[in-house]
Amino acid sequence: MQTLLLTIDKISTFIGQAFSWLIVALTLMISWEVFSRYVLDDPHPWAFDVMIMMYGTLFMMAGAYTLSKAGHVRGDVLYGFFEPRTQATIDLILFVLFFMPGVFALTYAGYTFAAESWAIREHSNVTAEGPPIYPFKTILPLAGLGLLLQGLVEIIRCVICIKQGEWPSREHDVEEVDVDKLKEMVHVKDDDIAKLDQFVVQQQGGTK
Amino acid sequence: MKIRKELWFGFSLMAIILVAVLIFTPWAGFIDGHLSRDDLGALGLLMLGLIVVAIMLGFPTAFTLMGMGVFFGWIAYRSVNPDLAVQQILDLMVQRAYSVMSNDVLIAIPLFVFMGYLVERANLIEKLFKSLHLSLARVPGALAVATIVTCAIFATATGIVGAVVTLMGLLALPAMLRAGYNIKLAAGAITAGGCLGILIPPSVLLIVYGATAGVSVVKLYAGAFFPGIMLAALYVGYVIIVAKWKPHFAPPLSESERQVPLPPLSQALSSRSGNALAGLFGGFGVPSLPKRQVATQLFVSLLPAISIVALLVLMYGAATSPTAAVDTSGLVQAGGAISAEEETPAESSGLQEPPSEQGGLQEPPQEGAALQEPPAELGQAAPAAASPSPPATASAEADTLPAAAAVERVPAPTWYWIVFGLGMAGLLLVNWLMSWQRLEIFKMLLASFFPLAIMIIAVLGSIVFGLATPTEAAAVGAFGGIVLAGAYRYVAARQAKSGNAVTRTISDLGGILKESSFLTAKTSAMVCWLFVGSSIFSAAFALLGGQELIERWVLSLGLTTLQFMLLSQFIIFILGWPLEWTEIIVIFMPIFIPLLPKFGVDPLFFGLLVALNLQTAFLSPPVAMAAFYLKGVSPKHVTLNQIFAGMLPFMAIQVLALALLYTFPGIGMWLPEVLYK
Repeated sequence: MQTLLLTIDKISTFIGQAFSWLIVALTLMISWEVFSRYVLDDPHPWAFDVMIMMYGTLFMMAGAYTLSKAGHVRGDVLYGFFEPRTQATIDLILFVLFFMPGVFALTYAGYTFAAESWAIREHSNVTAEGPPIYPFKTILPLAGLGLLLQGLVEIIRCVICIKQGEWPSREHDVEEVDVDKLKEMVHVKDDDIAKLDQFVVQQQGGTK
Repeated sequence: MKIRKELWFGFSLMAIILVAVLIFTPWAGFIDGHLSRDDLGALGLLMLGLIVVAIMLGFPTAFTLMGMGVFFGWIAYRSVNPDLAVQQILDLMVQRAYSVMSNDVLIAIPLFVFMGYLVERANLIEKLFKSLHLSLARVPGALAVATIVTCAIFATATGIVGAVVTLMGLLALPAMLRAGYNIKLAAGAITAGGCLGILIPPSVLLIVYGATAGVSVVKLYAGAFFPGIMLAALYVGYVIIVAKWKPHFAPPLSESERQVPLPPLSQALSSRSGNALAGLFGGFGVPSLPKRQVATQLFVSLLPAISIVALLVLMYGAATSPTAAVDTSGLVQAGGAISAEEETPAESSGLQEPPSEQGGLQEPPQEGAALQEPPAELGQAAPAAASPSPPATASAEADTLPAAAAVERVPAPTWYWIVFGLGMAGLLLVNWLMSWQRLEIFKMLLASFFPLAIMIIAVLGSIVFGLATPTEAAAVGAFGGIVLAGAYRYVAARQAKSGNAVTRTISDLGGILKESSFLTAKTSAMVCWLFVGSSIFSAAFALLGGQELIERWVLSLGLTTLQFMLLSQFIIFILGWPLEWTEIIVIFMPIFIPLLPKFGVDPLFFGLLVALNLQTAFLSPPVAMAAFYLKGVSPKHVTLNQIFAGMLPFMAIQVLALALLYTFPGIGMWLPEVLYK
């Protein structure tokens, strides 16, 4: 079971990470477009559409990846104080109650939305003769599908946690605040911090 | 015990909301299937209550919003036409989701976030902090001041509170503790400084607010600039006062800590002259020294002088360029003439007004005008010619000017010569003060402070002055981040002297790019999916007519503008305790924004207040994230309570800043008004 969960995690992660490279492409593309417009005086009418598509694809496809790393923002007032079992029960209920219907509706609606766009081979109307937009609209149901799959994994995780009393492990990933990495970056070791304690104790002794 | 109390508090709050929901739910309407308009409105409010409960339970907010929005939206549609309800809610949902996907404001978010991660990984904070605290060594409370300044700059460029607080906790906290600083003061400076990036543009919060409230991000950036600076200045002022008042809280640095080791070249020359510039010029005469090194040093030490001269030359060009100067004077006079006509006062005031307005706009005032014609005469001529149309005045005005002046360069006006004099005086002062020590510090600043400052100013400046859209500026800023990260890694690789510096830089940079893109993808997915959820949710809320009900209720209270502002800011402040700023903005701003016109409040101004207000949320115990990040890297005897206690004065300063901004809206509104009116 655990291997299956981790495999789906890996799929979500792989897709999300593959699409996250779009940010580099987006940066380079806009930078080039700015250079081309202001310096070479050669603007491209399709640039705006492409920009928007890259951005939309980037964040939509990263949705499942973020879910698999528990990266979606959640109210942490009480949640952190709960036992893992309580956490899992709440999550399980809310996954079934809100997540599944919501995301399923989005995927289904997105499917018809994209199908209509494919049927008329829709092009963007931001500029005259804009680029085709139906592949971009296809991203919507695809991202929804990814989320559904990852949502199922999360539900199974909740069930396992309720049975075992602790959360099953997740794959490690880059973290926003990785204290160990930051320590290494500014050349601070744990010993150094421990040594500082004497100053703190000294001060507290002095003020008491 | 403490944990239990908080749980109880949370549960009782939820119980109250749930009981209210049960009582007010229009059960009768549900049973016979007919919901009246008021029932629906009540349902909207219930939805709002439920969402608060669901968020407090800790489920990912984006999906709670989405699920609830779909369900309640379906109820709203069903009460109108049960057959079409499913199709309608699906259509609404997909339209809303797609509008977030193709939103041309939100697109700047991943780019700014990417820039932030890159700058964070460029690894320049260590140098930045060191150079700043050396250059500020004479200021009372130097280390704490340097901490705040470093935080302000670094947080502005990165915008990641957690990383900035952690890094400063690793760098500045040890330095301050060793220097004998009070723990609370040190902790307060780090946590408060780390949160500055929320407010000072280019901040993601302002983009999110702009996208939610439909306010131009450009104006928000222009508006938030001075409040941000003001807040940082207030922090610095507070630290300086404390350091003066209670020196044992922030003892000055000892002489040995202020010293910078001099490189051999400087050491050899420093015996000849105390002044770096004179010494370096003298250095050419010493045969034993390598000429190239001396020349490089000389160039570096002359950089401030060169930049001042370049700036003065540019300003001279701008001030005296013929077309621009004539145009402006014409327009200014036309404006002055109109105001004179509107007021239709005694002739004398009409005469005096135009010159004074010119002075305010700084363009060609007294001296330049006096050379051509006395200002009083211009004022007289203008009202006479102004009656047809202002552009006509401008052209008529241009005719009255001596033809030579219109073609040739206009003589530089007085203000220019004042600036010129100040610039020259500054130049002399800088070179006179440039000792060997200062030269070293200046070189350190050059390698850390200036690249970052220039990058921020370039990004902000191009947005605020309308040269580029926020998206373009963000992309170029991210590109600058890549270059910066590459450059710093290259220098580090060369210093490490292991293997080929270029290949090592490239592999390092690849790693940085990879990590930063992954993090960017996760952060943008988090923010933008929240947007998808909340736009579906707020559509359902509007469908149910909850918005109308709230509006009616608020208006029935008969609040004055001041009361309304106090109430709304207080609610936002309270919400900042259980919720994150993203949730507050995307869920609750759509409720507040429609109320603003009723009270005559500018949404732009409101946004600035909200941004300032939400800063305090990061510092308010017990959920202040900044405190936990700092605790994670501080020695074990530093308690959370000490950190909280240290944050309190800074929180008070934030409230003071909020009051100041409300009392003097000009602090925030002046720049957008000057630029975009």
